[in-house]
Amino acid sequence: MKRFAALTAGLTAAGLLALSGCGDGSGTAAAGQKTLKVSYWPDNPTFSCIDPFQVYWIESRSIIRNFADSLTDQDPKTGKIVPWLAEKWEISPDGKTYTFHLRDGVTFANGKKLDAQAVADNATGWIATVKATNGAAYGASYIQGLTGAKVVDPRTVEFDLSAPNSSFLQATSTTNLAITDPAEFQLTPAERCTGKGVVGSGLFALDHYSAKVETVLTKRAGYTWGSETSANRGEAKLDKVVFNYVAEDSVRTGNLVSGATDIAWPRNPFSPQDEQLITKSGDTVESRSLPGVAYNLYANTSAGHVLADAAIRQALSKAIDRKTYATTIYGADYPAVQGPFETTTPYFRSLSDKLAYDPDGAKKLLDAAGWVAGADGVRTKSGKKLIIDYPITAGSAGPELLQAQLKQVGIELGLRTLTTAQQATYLKEGSYDLTSTYFTRADPGALQFILNPEVANSKALAINATTPDVTKRIQELFAEALQTTDEKRTERAYAELQDYLVDQGVTIPLFERLQKVGVSAEVHGFAFTSESFLKLNDVTKD
Amino acid sequence: MTAALVVAAEETVGEKPARRARAGVFARRPGFLLASLYVAFVVAVAFRPALFTGQDPYATDPAAAMRAPSAAHLFGTDIYGRDLWSRVLHGSPLTIKATLIALVIALIAGLGLGIVSGFFGGLTDSLLMRVIDVLLAIPGLLLALSIVTALGYGTIPVAVAVGVGIVPGFARTTRAEVLRVKTLPYVEAARAGGASWTRVLLRHILPNSWGPVAVLAVLDAGVAIIAIASLSFLGFGAAPPAAEWGTLIADGRNYLVTAWWLSLLPGLFVALLVLSLNHIAKTFQEVTP
Repeated sequence: MKRFAALTAGLTAAGLLALSGCGDGSGTAAAGQKTLKVSYWPDNPTFSCIDPFQVYWIESRSIIRNFADSLTDQDPKTGKIVPWLAEKWEISPDGKTYTFHLRDGVTFANGKKLDAQAVADNATGWIATVKATNGAAYGASYIQGLTGAKVVDPRTVEFDLSAPNSSFLQATSTTNLAITDPAEFQLTPAERCTGKGVVGSGLFALDHYSAKVETVLTKRAGYTWGSETSANRGEAKLDKVVFNYVAEDSVRTGNLVSGATDIAWPRNPFSPQDEQLITKSGDTVESRSLPGVAYNLYANTSAGHVLADAAIRQALSKAIDRKTYATTIYGADYPAVQGPFETTTPYFRSLSDKLAYDPDGAKKLLDAAGWVAGADGVRTKSGKKLIIDYPITAGSAGPELLQAQLKQVGIELGLRTLTTAQQATYLKEGSYDLTSTYFTRADPGALQFILNPEVANSKALAINATTPDVTKRIQELFAEALQTTDEKRTERAYAELQDYLVDQGVTIPLFERLQKVGVSAEVHGFAFTSESFLKLNDVTKD
Repeated sequence: MTAALVVAAEETVGEKPARRARAGVFARRPGFLLASLYVAFVVAVAFRPALFTGQDPYATDPAAAMRAPSAAHLFGTDIYGRDLWSRVLHGSPLTIKATLIALVIALIAGLGLGIVSGFFGGLTDSLLMRVIDVLLAIPGLLLALSIVTALGYGTIPVAVAVGVGIVPGFARTTRAEVLRVKTLPYVEAARAGGASWTRVLLRHILPNSWGPVAVLAVLDAGVAIIAIASLSFLGFGAAPPAAEWGTLIADGRNYLVTAWWLSLLPGLFVALLVLSLNHIAKTFQEVTP
């Protein structure tokens, strides 16, 4: 009989211990050793992986950036592609051949030479990995059209594409196409995910990756090939970096404030209260918009679902007060979202006018569509209530505010908390009216992996999001933007695409995704990469 | 536990003067009075929450978000500017309803299993009690978690899960009572008088065994409330924006340092209720001769 009481008491005690922020058990570093401690939110529960080509988890990619270099780098300020492992490159006029001239003297952490053969073997390995994982490897989205690479001379390598792909050069700057010791491709994709055989040429070496527990990087002596995006292009100023995973936001923030960790790196932005706490205790909050697709809502427009009606999608969009949403959930100076893409994405176009808060416009649209206000404030049409089913995961901040905003115009947003099992299947089953997702990549092509059914991560979401003719038009616009090397044409196509997405109510932007990071006062030289990942080249610690 | 059982047993045959004397004993204990008043208040809230607050528990007001407790907002406001006092009160019907459902399930199943097991004895008893043993071997919250994962989220599944978790205690208590009552002379007399087994069971054994179980139900109400709050704390509760007490505590835990009232005041509300129930139960034990 007392079992419940004893258990709950135990749970409470454990919770309090965790809350007090004393859970950090990492030992003190040896004298004179500089160890940086970074606290992330939990590792991927279903696909824990540290292999650059396969992983999509932002936190893992952020770690990879510091132990594996790429052919090129992207300037976070300008979005320009700059040399890194490749000193220079040429793109053939037809856009199908990329020739990279490699820097001399670069080696992997295990001492092997990083030459043209190693790069070409990487390309072969990527293509083989895509086949072995049936296209599930995240890197597949970066090498569309890549047929292989050949060695021209020991320092020159040539990538061949079957069709032009204007985002390929940017792709070579990402962590997913980081160059690793090609010996790793002899292992199975699953083995590589554990970190086995994963050796990069970065300024740190991967010491070990214990999924969901910690990742440790150690300094690499003799590193001299940093890109121009950092002031320090040589050896790291830290000896060791320890990444751990902390589930509770308040505990992670508490760890930073109490000095148990040096950098608190949450997935969702800090609450305004936590941000105040961090700045009050002398630490700083760094912030940068994550490039790529913003946090958008996607409707289920398949037959029988209420959002199949474009007018209701428009009304829904007009009924969202994005400014209030951002300031309430994330703080007074948090920017409102301005379009389907984040502001740091190349070719970004601000559509603030179209996304303005217009409850009267929303009501007019709903009236015209025949939905009349009912007694309890929820609109009805021929006896059916205007209820939109929006599945959520437990403990997410925001949906309840969205619910309250939509209620103002007579739309009832039904929040349904999903079990872990349901989370994996609800999209496929189509048992939703509205869902949300985002995608981080410093290129608008990223949206393809949400909306283009041929390459989308969730085919069901892509197919349900809109009608076949709209999908066709979106694919055409992507093709126009991608299959060219003419900058102007790309820009025009992407501009038209962004307008089209909002006009059709295919993407309903909800909020801009800012990567906020709490940095201890003892840490100097903090920097973001163009993908808003952690860049440790200039980082030092008192 | 035994003391409480004796109280109940005596209540059933109690005489009026004795009862009055005992009422006097209770009245002289201010702690007991306060506890009873608080429990009565929460029960009243559970049936008519709107009587105790004029504010809409679901109306957001971003401009007034995260206000500390004040006269206008007794418990302060949450991150969306909703009045927390009103949310706690409107959460009462959900939690109290879940507690009642859990207790009814435990009572019916526990009584049934206990009576059948105690009365028939032998193989039936052995089989049923081994099943109960298995249930007892699994930690209650773990059992409740597995059940609620299978049933899905919401108030009713949580109530069912907690109810099933406390069935073994009820079954064991009932069985012990039945074993005791079964051997009493009047049961033998009824048998000797030619009453059928069914009649003996329903007319003589059941009415004389269920008293202690009813008292156990009151004692377990506190345990059930904690269990239900734990499950809704873990996110298995009612769909938003409705909020059970556990959900309210969980929602505020990210703001413990910066907005303490979000978690602590609802937590205090629940803690006081459970303490009151325990205190009432303990008083019953103490005043028993």
